[in-house]
Amino acid sequence: MTASGAFWIRLSNAWMEIRENLGRSILQSLGIILGVASVLGGLSISDSQRRRSDELFVRLGGLDKLNVQPAQAAKDGTPTALQMANLGLRSKDAKDGAEMDRSQVFGVSTQKSGRARVRSPFADQDRAITGIGVDYLRVEGYELAAGRSFTSEDLRNNAPIAILGSEPQEVFFPTGDPLGKTIRVGDVPVVVVGLLKERVFHFRKSGRNIFRGRNRIIALPATLVQWRFEGDQYQKLERVTFKIPQLSAMELFSKNLSQLLVSNHRQQNDFRLDDVAARVTKQRKNGDVYDVIFMLSGVLSLLGGGLVNVNIQLASLKERVREVGIKMAIGSSGREIFKEFMTESMLLAGLGALVGLALGCAFSWFILQTIEVPLYLRASSFGLAVGLATLSGFLFGLYPAFRASRLSPMEALRYD
Amino acid sequence: MLPLIQTTAITKTYDADQSVVHALRGVDLWVKRGEFVALIGPSGSGKSTLMAILGCLDSPTSGQYTLDGQSVEALPPPALARVRNEKIGFVFQYYNLLPRANVLRNVELPMLYAGVPRKERTERAKELLDKVGILEKARQFPSQLSGGQRQRVAIARALVNRPALLLADEPTGSLDSRTGSEVLALFRQLHRQGNTVIIVTHDPSIAALAERKVELSDGLVAAAKSAA
Repeated sequence: MTASGAFWIRLSNAWMEIRENLGRSILQSLGIILGVASVLGGLSISDSQRRRSDELFVRLGGLDKLNVQPAQAAKDGTPTALQMANLGLRSKDAKDGAEMDRSQVFGVSTQKSGRARVRSPFADQDRAITGIGVDYLRVEGYELAAGRSFTSEDLRNNAPIAILGSEPQEVFFPTGDPLGKTIRVGDVPVVVVGLLKERVFHFRKSGRNIFRGRNRIIALPATLVQWRFEGDQYQKLERVTFKIPQLSAMELFSKNLSQLLVSNHRQQNDFRLDDVAARVTKQRKNGDVYDVIFMLSGVLSLLGGGLVNVNIQLASLKERVREVGIKMAIGSSGREIFKEFMTESMLLAGLGALVGLALGCAFSWFILQTIEVPLYLRASSFGLAVGLATLSGFLFGLYPAFRASRLSPMEALRYD
Repeated sequence: MLPLIQTTAITKTYDADQSVVHALRGVDLWVKRGEFVALIGPSGSGKSTLMAILGCLDSPTSGQYTLDGQSVEALPPPALARVRNEKIGFVFQYYNLLPRANVLRNVELPMLYAGVPRKERTERAKELLDKVGILEKARQFPSQLSGGQRQRVAIARALVNRPALLLADEPTGSLDSRTGSEVLALFRQLHRQGNTVIIVTHDPSIAALAERKVELSDGLVAAAKSAA
């Protein structure tokens, strides 16, 4: 049959049938159009949002990070003596953690914050200062615009040097190049050795720069902060971040790290591990709910449209009984009639899917335009939407096609 | 030589609302190859039912029916479709052309179901349209043709798979007398060329053109007599 081009003739007949009954055909495919539009539009909107968040995380220095922060050991009541005696997170923890598995840890960023009066010939402000380790800038996604970053030598020597974010560069040296100049942080004169690039990320186009706070950084070697500003011989830290590119190694590492820290901290759980990747995955899981909702509304629309389709097709079958009878009289088998009806229903679903895809693109583009997130279309969303439409066209075509194929030629010919 | 059609004690009953209708009560009929037979009888005599069974559009309730050496009374619908496609050409009173297909496509359709390659389909369809004298209308649609022209298209379509039997149901019933007699002349010509023709009619003047008349009455063959 295929050799004689029967398929193409069926297809062209189906096309003719659809064109001849344009109004009815549009009604029939409306469910599919809306379903496809809803599936594609919904998925594209959430994909675009997700993609934007992914971009944000990359700009934050990647997902492959494990944060450790100090936490209250005693949840309520008076802390025990042992808990009181604990020192919290220290530089030693960071060092031990990094040495635990050299092959997996690609950077340890340590952070110790303080506040101090910062002065230059142009400004005099009370500012937050950040004591950082060697890897901090890299792990946190900062980039140098000029100068250098801190070395382990600097940290060992408590070197009186500073790296400035883009905002303090402007504030303390409005006339230009701060590199090599001295600022006073508290009572300590420090030399500016590095300048950071301005970091910009707008989740929505007209939204605020969410990196604004990060541009305010005034970074000193963590050891300098611990020693000169906090007077802290124990080298306490506010945060330690391990960069572990191998996400599969993360779980084991965090388990081992946890044990290490507990033993370092006299068996106290006075710290908190935060696996960024796990957190993001969890967040994303919550986002999946929306996917399911969009999918469901799409599927329901396809279902409703499909049922309407069955009704219209059955009604239109009444007009075509005679035609079916003629075809049967001249030798068409029920199977052939079945194929003809199925071809029509699939073609209708296919055309409906195309319109639906266009509509879905327009729909998601419009929504994203209003929330100012760039549109991101995934091929698999298209696939899914078209797949569902095809499935619906197939399933809901079956019954009318079956009915048509089972007509008795005699009765069909006599039908008026 | 075996007859083309041989029926033995064909019956057909329908279930009406409360009662059973006996449309055929045991029809025995022989038709030889190359014969021109008229099936006549008043409405309600069962001639339409008999025609449907002879045309394999319907199966008898009981009895045997052998067509072209093949026993067809108990064939399942797909096999009956094949028999209709290969062995029977229908001509109906109301032409029964597909309105949305042009003349050429209408004539090609039976060959499509038979799986004839495209090129041959077109060639044969044109050949037959030429034979019935309306080749120049090949690209037109049935609605653009007169009744007589439509019936010629239907005849071309009926002949296109070289059927063993040409079955015409009141073929002139919707035509004026002049075009009617032209169509009848065409049937006679086809008969002379060796086709077996059965015409179902209630009109004695048409039946008179046939070699043999088979008269049905009350679901039985009342009389079978040679005209010529």
